[in-house]
Amino acid sequence: MWRTLENGTREFLPGKENWAAAALAALDCPGFLLDVDEEVIADEERSCYNCRYRRWSAASFTCQWRFQQG
Amino acid sequence: MQIVISIDDTDNLESRGTGEIASLIAEGLTEKGWGTASLVTRHQLLVHPDIPYTSHNSAMCFAAEIDEGAWEQVIGFAGEFLRRESAEGSDPGLCVVSLPGLRHTPELVEFGRRAKREVIAMPEAYQLAERLGVHLSEHGGTGQGIIGALAGAGLRLWGNDGRMKGSLTFARETVSVTELLAHPNVDEVRCVTGVQVSARDLVRLGEKPKTVLIGGASVLLVSAAESADVAWQTLHRRQLKDY
Repeated sequence: MWRTLENGTREFLPGKENWAAAALAALDCPGFLLDVDEEVIADEERSCYNCRYRRWSAASFTCQWRFQQG
Repeated sequence: MQIVISIDDTDNLESRGTGEIASLIAEGLTEKGWGTASLVTRHQLLVHPDIPYTSHNSAMCFAAEIDEGAWEQVIGFAGEFLRRESAEGSDPGLCVVSLPGLRHTPELVEFGRRAKREVIAMPEAYQLAERLGVHLSEHGGTGQGIIGALAGAGLRLWGNDGRMKGSLTFARETVSVTELLAHPNVDEVRCVTGVQVSARDLVRLGEKPKTVLIGGASVLLVSAAESADVAWQTLHRRQLKDY
């Protein structure tokens, strides 16, 4: 579901429209943090698409959480 | 005097969002007796490797009606607020547009629309702001947020981009279109497929319903209800993500 980029962040391979995969990925993630309301887009609250640590890219998003933890 | 205030790039991964800062500036403007502010809207800009942004590259914007004599005070207040409240590592930008003083609205609108599909550099933003008579200022970091701030103002003036910050609240889950239209932040209730919505129709409100800007109006989009007891339901969040 993920690939690690050169800078150490992980890119979400299912892209921007795979709602089920984004919810599944967030299910057991210890870093999940719900973003501010105006940036929440998934109906499943616990979703990587709603996470403060996702950084949107043209095709998908990268997870900044593990990157933040070093 | 009608104005539009737009801000961008005030947050980091740990801080409060740019939307909250916009709301606080709007509230402050009212509390100080300079005027009244309308709803805050969120405007998505281009996500691109060459653009530095925290996580989503969106600008926040609101319109306000202020006393003409308060123009300088409003700019000073908003700028100082951004300098004081923006997060460490952010690059906040502020744009304030006086509608009576704006020289050529279509150019500002086009700048906003371009910022959704192209990478734009800071000098171009400053040059355009100066030519159009628009206030544009940076308040920390690299000041890169001026690009999004100017773009956000253009998109707000376009009136066909963005969704409201926050959500509509009603005491009941099901309300009539007439009741919805009585809400100060709802100008129109519209079906996404173009089917006519009538005033007496009932609408089931989903979680945190939001309006979007279409044709300069704050529009609550609905679709045919999944159950037979009401005619319409508000859109799911995922259906609003492209607004």
